[in-house]
Amino acid sequence: MAEKLDVKQGTLALMILKTIEVLGPLHGYGVARRIEETSKNRLTLNYGTLYPALLKLEQEGFIVAEWRQSENNRRAKYYSLTPAGRKQLAREAREWHQTADLIAAFLSPRREGA
Amino acid sequence: MSRILAALARLRGALGRDRGDDELREELESHLDMEIAEYVRRGMSPLEARRQALLSSGGLTHAVEAVHDQRGLPWMESLGADVKYALRALRRSPAFAGVVVLTLALGIGANTAIFSVVRGVLLKPLPHREGDRLLYMRQSNDAPGGASMAFSVPEVAEYRAGAKSLGGIAEFSSWSITHTTDEGAVRIQAGLVTGNYFEVMGLSAVLGRLTQPSDDGVGVPAVMVLTHEYWQKRFGGDSGLVGQQVTLDGTSATVIGVVQPAPFFPGRVDALLNMVVSPHHVSAMMVHGRTHRMTEMVARLAPGASLEQARAEVAAVTQRMHADHKDAYDLGANARVTVIPFKEVLGERARLTLWLLMGAAAFVMIISAANVANLTLMRGVRREHELVVRAALGAGVSRLRRLLLVENLVLALLGALCGAGIALGGVRLLTTFAARYSPRAGEIQLDGVVFGFMLSLSLAVALLLSFLAVLPREGHFASWILAGAHRLSGGLRKQRVQRGLVVAQIAVSVVLLAGAGLLTRTMIQLGNVETGLRTEEVLTMEVPLNTPAQLLARGDGDSHQRYERMRQEIRALPGVIEVGVGGTMPLRASSMLFDVKAENKALGVGEAIPRAEMRTAGPEYFRAAGIPLLAGRPFLSTDQRGSGKVVIINKTLADHFFRGEDPVGKRLAWSGDILRFTPFTTEWRTVVGVAANTQDGGLDAKSRPVMFMPFAQEMAIAGGMVIRADSNVAALTTAAVRIARRIAPGTLIENVLTVSQIKDQSLSPRRLNALLVSSFGILAVIIAAVGIAGVLAFSVSSRTTEIGIRMSLGADRGRVQRMILREGGSLLVTGLALGVVGAFYAARVIQGLLFGVAPNDPVTMGGVALLMAAIGIGACWIPAMRAARVDPAITMRS
Repeated sequence: MAEKLDVKQGTLALMILKTIEVLGPLHGYGVARRIEETSKNRLTLNYGTLYPALLKLEQEGFIVAEWRQSENNRRAKYYSLTPAGRKQLAREAREWHQTADLIAAFLSPRREGA
Repeated sequence: MSRILAALARLRGALGRDRGDDELREELESHLDMEIAEYVRRGMSPLEARRQALLSSGGLTHAVEAVHDQRGLPWMESLGADVKYALRALRRSPAFAGVVVLTLALGIGANTAIFSVVRGVLLKPLPHREGDRLLYMRQSNDAPGGASMAFSVPEVAEYRAGAKSLGGIAEFSSWSITHTTDEGAVRIQAGLVTGNYFEVMGLSAVLGRLTQPSDDGVGVPAVMVLTHEYWQKRFGGDSGLVGQQVTLDGTSATVIGVVQPAPFFPGRVDALLNMVVSPHHVSAMMVHGRTHRMTEMVARLAPGASLEQARAEVAAVTQRMHADHKDAYDLGANARVTVIPFKEVLGERARLTLWLLMGAAAFVMIISAANVANLTLMRGVRREHELVVRAALGAGVSRLRRLLLVENLVLALLGALCGAGIALGGVRLLTTFAARYSPRAGEIQLDGVVFGFMLSLSLAVALLLSFLAVLPREGHFASWILAGAHRLSGGLRKQRVQRGLVVAQIAVSVVLLAGAGLLTRTMIQLGNVETGLRTEEVLTMEVPLNTPAQLLARGDGDSHQRYERMRQEIRALPGVIEVGVGGTMPLRASSMLFDVKAENKALGVGEAIPRAEMRTAGPEYFRAAGIPLLAGRPFLSTDQRGSGKVVIINKTLADHFFRGEDPVGKRLAWSGDILRFTPFTTEWRTVVGVAANTQDGGLDAKSRPVMFMPFAQEMAIAGGMVIRADSNVAALTTAAVRIARRIAPGTLIENVLTVSQIKDQSLSPRRLNALLVSSFGILAVIIAAVGIAGVLAFSVSSRTTEIGIRMSLGADRGRVQRMILREGGSLLVTGLALGVVGAFYAARVIQGLLFGVAPNDPVTMGGVALLMAAIGIGACWIPAMRAARVDPAITMRS
């Protein structure tokens, strides 16, 4: 199994938003599974991490929740993106890319004068 | 935006329970079920799947807690717990809580009440637009009556032309006038103003329009602007008033509007009128007479101009005027013009008194805070053990600090709450008090700023108290716990703080007591001042038969006959001994002052021109008022129009001109250009008598020179009755007023006052001053005494073991008692010494409020020091006695 990573502050929200954008309305379990799969199980989310983050996004108006029947016929709370959430996702993704590029540029070996 | 949304949602979560935990649990359960189903699908047994799912969930309860914290405001919930804990702790020591809350309530209440007055009267921005750019100009000199002389129209014109930093100069002339409406006639106070007055003052209309430059000059219609106060009081805020015709002194005028509420200066007014209302104000005499000074000048700083520029320019214009018109200015008496910000001039009479009270209240606050601090420190020592244990059990030092802070906040806010009650009552009392000193008393209110002040005061006290407490440093709990009960004696540092606080309390109490003593002595001295009247059974009343406009238009008519009829009818009332008629009543200031000269007495070079009050008196005036004649004769009924002009002068004037000579038979005359504008002549008048001085300007005023003329020989520009009775003259008031009203219908009868009432007018503001400062002083002393006793008692109780050892080693009771007394005594002596030094400084600051007593009055200072010492020793005695009763056998064993 690959090395387990801690979820970095601020990145979880981005992952959740992206997951919901890709998969459409989704329950907490689905979000957790998708994130774990995408990270190739390097990330595991316990409830105490996931649900406060979902609640925070809901409070900020980026996602809305709604009770629905799940595919295997049980009640679950489904989260979907709001327009504000879509905008926030775009903004955060852009910022993240910029930061990642910047960090990558810093960390890559210097080839000055080449 | 999203942050605000989130905050709102969290607040909602903190207040209600939101949709509650049930929904969350359901969501988590559904998550768990899906996970179990997944594990089962991968081939686990249901039991194993459940175990595995629970393991990876990280614990449902933990999740619920975590969501909780995100949903609400966790610190708010623990704050709630802290408040609950604090309330419980305080309930457990009700005596402590009661004393602290009461002490704080007194301090906070007194400060809030007085601050609200200081703010309303002195600090609050004026309601005028850009009120801080408004200026008041004052012409004055050092001669009697020269404190504020107003300006003449030619003078105003020179400033208007010469001082460019003054963007606009408006004129205001105080005028009393009869306002007749359908409901009858009333005499009102008005201001005759130039059309630019409201523009310069920066006031707007709440109804209709205000005067404008087109209302200036002659041949324009008379217009009237009502003040908000008069409009409300007389007309109940009737908006149909605008456009109505009213009668002012018999001529017609139109009400054009109502001005916003604002303070006026030099006094309150009911209405503002354009100049044409008074034919005199637009006459050549007024417009061209340089010494005809009836106009107050207000100005607004031009954009970009500074107060310094304005002062320099005004000084330059003044200097040029003085050079160009030497006769019009009394340069020997330091004639000058000063430029004062309007806000300052409105507060000038109130300033010293209010800051005195604010200072006294602040001192009370210091003492109460010190006392509360001491109480808290002592209680803190007793609770130290509890706090340390709590800290060691994981509360954390910051959490403990917060607990203390919350506890002190609860105390301070409870104090503030009770203080608000005190302030509410106090403000009502103080507003009537302030109305004597300031036209802005109406602006006093307990508004947001005042409550903000109160809250910050409470917060400051709570913070102070919380940080005085000594808490262990993180990681040092063990030693504190080990020290345990032994530390109950209190650290040396703590004792030092307590002692310092007690010394400060004593010092501040001495300062307050000294102030109270000086003000009380002032009041007593003032009460002992002789009015100059030999009897108290005198009633005076002012019955002005004519308004100034009427006098100017048609003279005094049959006024002399009507005053004589009034005099005789009142004389016939039972119990009346004598009634005299006069232009100005005794013991009341006269604003009529003119230059005066004596025959064959040349004025020295650079000597100020002597001035005297002009008064008129009938033959019975002096006898009725009980003013002794020191020489010569009273006026006689033969001193009539047409007979030789005679005068009676008072002792001050006699001393000025005729020291060591007999004034009777000498001749005096009024002089000065200004007499051209009066009905009075400059011919020589023979002195027939010398009257004793009377305290016309108030009990604390220096007596001014006065020259009386026979009432019958001059125009009756004013008039009133001096009534003397054998006893209880106040009972005559109704009958006398009824007679006056019948003979002079529609006239405003003013100032119907007995001599003792007039005296009281002089005394009552001082009495209230003395009373307020004395109550603060007494309060301070009580709090300080409790403080000393408390600290010593605490010291005794924490040294019981030591005392026990000392006693078992042979120290007798007297020795122990002396030891404790010495401890208190050293605090007392230090506090007294500091206090007396402080009192000398404080007394110098309030010198202006004192009368007949020197600021360093040794009697007061000595008395105060003795009193404080006695109270202090008394406060030390109780704990000392208790120390002496310590039973060594018991203390050693326990």
